[in-house]
Parts: sequence; structure tokens; C-alpha cells
Amino acid sequence: MQPDTVQPDTVQPDNVRPDTVQPDAGEPVVRVRGLTKEFDGTTALAGVDLDVARGELLVLLGLSGSGKSTLLRCLNGLHRPTAGEVTVAGTRVDRASGRELRRLRTEVGFVFQQFNLVGRLTCLENVLIGGLGRVRGPRYGVTTYSRAMREEALAHIERVGLADHAYQRADTLSGGQQQRVAIARTLMQRPQLVLADEPVASLDPENSGAVMDLLVRVCAEEGLTVVCTLHQVDLALGWAHRLVGLRSGEKVLDRPAAGLTRDDAMSIYRHVEPAEALA
Amino acid sequence: MSAPTTRERRDGHNTGAHNTGGHSTGGRLPPPPTPQQRALRWIAGGSVLLALVAASSIGLDLPTLIAGGEDVASLVERMLPPRVDDPARIAALTLDTVLMAFLGTVLATFLSVPLAFLAARTTTPHPAVATVARGLITFCRAVPDLVFAVLFVRALGLGVLPGVLALALHSVGMLGKLFADAIEDADPGPREAVRSVGVGPLRELLNGVVPQVVPAWVSAFVYRVDINLRTSVVLGFVGAGGIGFALQDALRGLVYPKALGIVAIILVVVAAMELLSMAVRRALLAPRNPRFERDRVVRFLSGGAALALTVFAFVRLGIDPLALVTSVPDLLAVAGRTFPPDLTSLGPVLWEALLQTLAIGLVATAIGVVLSLPLGLLAARNVAPHPVVHAAARTTVLVVRAVPELVLAVILVAAVGLGPVAGAIALGIGSIGFLGKLVADAVEEIPAGPAEAVRSVGGGWWKVLFAAVLPQSLPSVVGSTLYLLDVNIRTSTILGIVGAGGVGFLLFEAVRTLRFEVVGGIVLLVFVVVLLIERLSGWIRAQLT
Ligand SMILES: Nc1ncnc2c1ncn2[C@@H]1O[C@H](COP(=O)(O)OP(=O)(O)O)[C@@H](O)[C@H]1O
Ligand SMILES: [Mg+2]
Repeated sequence: MQPDTVQPDTVQPDNVRPDTVQPDAGEPVVRVRGLTKEFDGTTALAGVDLDVARGELLVLLGLSGSGKSTLLRCLNGLHRPTAGEVTVAGTRVDRASGRELRRLRTEVGFVFQQFNLVGRLTCLENVLIGGLGRVRGPRYGVTTYSRAMREEALAHIERVGLADHAYQRADTLSGGQQQRVAIARTLMQRPQLVLADEPVASLDPENSGAVMDLLVRVCAEEGLTVVCTLHQVDLALGWAHRLVGLRSGEKVLDRPAAGLTRDDAMSIYRHVEPAEALA
Repeated sequence: MSAPTTRERRDGHNTGAHNTGGHSTGGRLPPPPTPQQRALRWIAGGSVLLALVAASSIGLDLPTLIAGGEDVASLVERMLPPRVDDPARIAALTLDTVLMAFLGTVLATFLSVPLAFLAARTTTPHPAVATVARGLITFCRAVPDLVFAVLFVRALGLGVLPGVLALALHSVGMLGKLFADAIEDADPGPREAVRSVGVGPLRELLNGVVPQVVPAWVSAFVYRVDINLRTSVVLGFVGAGGIGFALQDALRGLVYPKALGIVAIILVVVAAMELLSMAVRRALLAPRNPRFERDRVVRFLSGGAALALTVFAFVRLGIDPLALVTSVPDLLAVAGRTFPPDLTSLGPVLWEALLQTLAIGLVATAIGVVLSLPLGLLAARNVAPHPVVHAAARTTVLVVRAVPELVLAVILVAAVGLGPVAGAIALGIGSIGFLGKLVADAVEEIPAGPAEAVRSVGGGWWKVLFAAVLPQSLPSVVGSTLYLLDVNIRTSTILGIVGAGGVGFLLFEAVRTLRFEVVGGIVLLVFVVVLLIERLSGWIRAQLT
């Protein structure tokens, strides 16, 4: 299902960090160098470097305000970096034109903490929105999509376990169900990279586990690359190939999950560098 | 939007009473006036004085009122029994009128949607564009529909097309604003989700914003059809088609029973439309339905009905859709001739007429308050001394509500003659429909505590009224009165078109005599006055909350 992306010559294989677990040792899907993002005055990201290999499941940890969401948004161009290079699936996001950005986004799924479904529309209509990027012209309502697309959308809905709810309004579903619809919408995009911004932070613990499970399972089945921010260190340790910690916009941890203890991961929350404390 | 704030205010004000419970005797009387309330009293006193001065300036005094009452009584006598001479023709004209209101609103919607996206802070391509779009919307709102109609009839000739276009353009003033507000209120989340699947800005709006705002838009549309129907019945007076033409005919020919027959039909149609509009809006607000199928059927059917009605309206009214485009140069030509606006050639007459317009609005509002307070109290279930009184008062309010102000003005001109007195009384009576209902609703909403308290210390009906009921409902009634003043001054700028005083007469004359620069000057003045009054009334209402 995954088309092979053409990797431009600018991406050099030797940028792949040797110390990471590599599900696929090819060229990285995400390559970030010196990424800095400022919002009038506040520095959200300060010189972050990051590579994510194809098929890798990377979890971003960090206190709230540490820049996790900003980093994800820089990856699909929802935010434009103040400085630095961001290459995703061979596209230079930081200097992409509007058209290039849109083309890139069709291949990058985004799962939001608040699901961001259109509440008044049905699950099916919401999932179909995921396919908008690969069709031309305006679509509004189920009947304006081709039969093939509708069937594909229904298959994704079935896959996330909501076959009985396809024709139900999205805002009548529980939070866990809504996030499943959002995952189906992302699958509908046929992405190669999935960015998930605290996908389970609005759910109760039981649903958190189930939804996280689903997300990881379908992404693994499709061989998708995942960058996911999480609050729950335990969930992260259970699923991630690699953990990256952010603090005040800087990368303070970048290690394979294998062999990492809970305390190692927790250190990014507690530990404050003396230099930083003085600053 | 203002309802929750009034409710909060009232609740906050009465927490003491709430806590003591309905039947307890420990309730509190309303607290002593705050400095703000004292200031309000000064404003109220000043307004009464101003209203009296205004009344005498337009020659409205007690003898005139009494004589006017007799005139109306004798006119009504001559009108009875109402009759419909040519039912087929009247039915056809009524249908035309309804279709004009509908089609005008449909066209307004098509104009308003792009304008709203340009005007909404969250979707505009540039703040400067938003300012221009908002300005256009405000302009459409501040120029009364009948003023557009008079001008368009000049540009395009007699017929329904200028009427429909006038309704459309003025409606953009309300629809554009409500549409833009709905867009700004929309959740940015879904929109961001749509953007991140890789679509361009247009589809981002279509799929991320439009589904969210549709209910608010439909609600505004239906509400506007209701409002436009009230105007469309008088468009005939300026030659812009519809039932108003037959009404004018009957009144000119002094065939009063026929006139009353037409008024009765108008009343029924307007009341039916209001009920329909209320039902639709309530259905839209109804708790969301988890089953999609029924929703989809309803949506499909109502969408289909609206489309069919639009096509039918074009065919039935004989409007060539192309004419909507081809008439634009003619309209622009007339608009161009209103430049540069001429404010001087009429001399002091213009300023006197403008003052008269303000005076009519003020006096009408005062009359409205004087009539609405007792009527509204009697129409409130918890105050009315007897259920029959309650029912009678409510019915009166409803009936008055169904009579468009300008139709009332036409009848009053027939009864008491041309001039501002007819206009002021017509608007004053018409105000009952709005303010009487609001007073009744406000009084019915007040908690029972304080009234119980007054009763428990031995207060009678009057005492309860003055010590408990009135003070509690005052804030919301004052707010509504200011809004009413705003509406009345707006309407009084066009009363002159049916001979009921104010600056509208000069406008009509200027159009008739083709003095378009003068028209431009008057439109400019009306625009400024309406805008200032709207801002002032809005500001005072904001101070109240
Ligand atoms: N759109 C924005 N405008 C201004 N400041 C922002 C914006 N988005 C994020 N920030 C700031 O950037 C910093 C990082 O925010 P964010 O990336 O949302 O952190 P996290 O997702 O880790 O909680 C915070 O200080 C936040 O206030
Ligand atoms: Mg965040």
C-alpha cells in the first residue's frame, strides 16, 4: 500500500543516529536540524535535532509547555520554523510552498488530543475527510464521494471497531470512540507518517490503553512511522522504540526504549540542569 | 445572546430570595439602589422629559390623541365588515409577496456567505479586507430596505425585481453579520484537522467550517424570511410589487372594508410565517439526534423544498436570473448619481425633517412603554389577576406583533391624516408587539421569592407589583426599551414614504423629482443617524449588564 517515497539527494544516510533502534535502517522519514521556533518573545523550540527512521515509533515526553506540540506542528507545516531545517518524507517543510505543503500533508496523518472531528457530521463523513487530499474539487456530504472511497472509509471504520456507528453523528460518541474515528480518518489519508499529539490525554485510563493499543497496532500493521507525544511514561515505555525528552524547547533525552528504566525516563521531568537554573 | 446575561443578572440579584425557598417568610426585599441604578433613574427622568418635548414638537398632545382615537374608531367602523373582493387576485398577490420575501432572503444569503468569510476575523485573508467587508455589511444594515426599494424602482422601473433586490441588499446587513459571527464562533479544531489532511484554503473552509455553522446560518435565514415578509407587504407602496399595491389601491379608493380584508390576510400570513420560523428554529436547537438517517431525510427534504421554492419564485415572479446580473449596471448608475451627496440644497427643511424623525422614534418608544408595561404585566401568568385577563392580554400582544409597523402607519394615515402624529402612534402601538411580549416574559421569569415575601408581610396586589415585581424585571425591560428605540428610529426614517412624517418623505420626493444628489445626502444622513443610535443604544445596554 505504501508507495516508495523518492528520497532527494540532500538527505545523507550518515545522519541517522547509530545509537537508535532501527526497524528499518534506510533513510529517515523525518530529519530535523537546529529547529528553532519563537512565538513573539517565547522560544518554544531551541535548536532541536531529530531523526526518525521508517517504521519507527517515537514517543516525545516533556512537561506541558516544553514544546512537544510545536515540534509536531513544525513537522507537517502547521507552524513554520523560525530557523533550522525540517525534512519530512523528502520535502523541505521549512521552505515548502503552499502547494508542496499540501502535497506533503496528504501523506502525514495528524491525531489531535481533542479529536477535532466535525461534531455535526457522521463518523463516515468525518473519515471521508481524510481522503480529501487525494481527490480534486469540492466535496460535501457522503454522496459526493466515489463509491470506492466510501467503501474504503467504511473498512477503516470497521477496523477501528465502530462498524455499528458509521452513520451516527460524531458528537454523540464517547471520547474514546471519537478518537477511534480520528484514527480511521488518518488511515483514510493513507499516510506514511503519523503525528499524534497527546492522543489519549482526554480519555480515561481504560480508554487510553485501548486507543493507544489500536493506534500502535494499525500503524505497525501498515508499517507507518509514528511520532507521538504522551504524558504517561508507562505507556511510552510499553510501546515506543525510542523516547525523546524535551525540556524548555531543548532535547534532553534521546534513547532507545529497550533497556530504559522508568526512572531514566522520569528524569526529564525532575532534573534541572544547574546552568538552566541559573539562567 | 443577551438572554443568558439578563438571567444571570436576575439570579445574582435574587440569590437571597432563592435560598429562603418559595414559601419561607424570611425573603428579602430588593436592596437599596446602587449609584448605577441612581444614574439610570436620572437617565430615565431625562428621557421622559425629552419624550414630552419631542411629543409637543410633532404636535402630539392629549386632545390630538383623543381626537385621533375617535378618528381611528370611526375608520374602523367604516372598515367593518372586512371583505375580499377579488380572492383570486388577492391570493396571487399574497403568494407573490411571500415569494418576494423568500427570494430576497435567498439572494441575500448568496451575497452574505462570501462577505461573511471575508469579514470574519478567523477566515479573512487580511484584516483590511475584514474591515471593508464589515463596512459593507454595516452599510447594508443602516440603509433601510424601503430606501433601497425606492431607488431601485427608479433604476429598474416598477415591478417585483427592484423589491426583491432591495430586500436582498438590506438583509445582507443582518445575515452577513450573523453569518460572520457564527464563523468566528466555530471551533478551530476541526478546521485544523481538515487542513492537515492536505487541502487548500477553500476546501478547508467548506469541510472544516461550513458544517459547523450551518445550523446558525439556517436559523438566521429563516428568521430573516420572517422579517422580510413584514417589509414585503409594504413594498407595493413604492411600486415594488406584492400585496401592498392592492392595499394602497383600496385605501386610495377609500374602499375601507377591502383594505381591512387585505390587512387581515397580511396578519394571518405574517403570523403563520412567525410560527413556522419559530418551529424551524426550535427544531434546529433541539438536542442532537444520534440517529443520522432521520436527520438526513429532514435535511434532504428541507433543502430540496428550499431549492424548489427558489425556482418556483423565479418562475412565478417572472424574474430572469440573468436580470440579477444585467440590472447591476443600472443600479450602479443610479447609485453613482447620488454622488456627491447634497446636504445643503434643501436647506433647513432637511434638518427639521431629521429632528422630526428622531422625535417620532422617541415618542413612539415612550408610547410603546406606556402601553406595554400594563399590558405586559397583565399578560404575565404570575401577575395577571385572572387567567382570562392573561389570555386576552397575550392575544392582544400576539395580534399586534403580526401587523407590520408600516401597515399600521398606512392605516393611521388614513385615519388621522398625513403627518408625524400618525407615524408616532403607529410605531407606538406596534411597539407593544415587541415590548409587551418582553415585559410579560421577563416578569414570568422572575423568581417567586420576593413577591412571596411582600405578600407575607400583608402586601396586596399593587404592593407586590411595585415592591417586588417591577424592580426585578426593570433591568431587562430597560435594555429592551433601548433596543426598541433603536428599531423605532430606524423605522421612522422610512415612515415618510407612506406619508407618516419624518425624513423619508423628503427622500421619496427627491427620488420622484430625480434629485439624486439630494437622495445621496439623505441616505448618508439616515446612515449616520442609524449608526449613531445603534452604537449609543448598544453602549448604554452594555453599561446595564
Ligand atoms: N500559537 C502559539 N502562540 C504563542 N505561543 C505558543 C503557541 N503555541 C505554543 N506556544 C508556546 O510555546 C511553548 C511550547 O508550547 P507547546 O509546544 O504547546 O508545549 P507542549 O505541547 O509541550 O505542552 C509554550 O510556552 C507555549 O506557550
Ligand atoms: Mg501540547
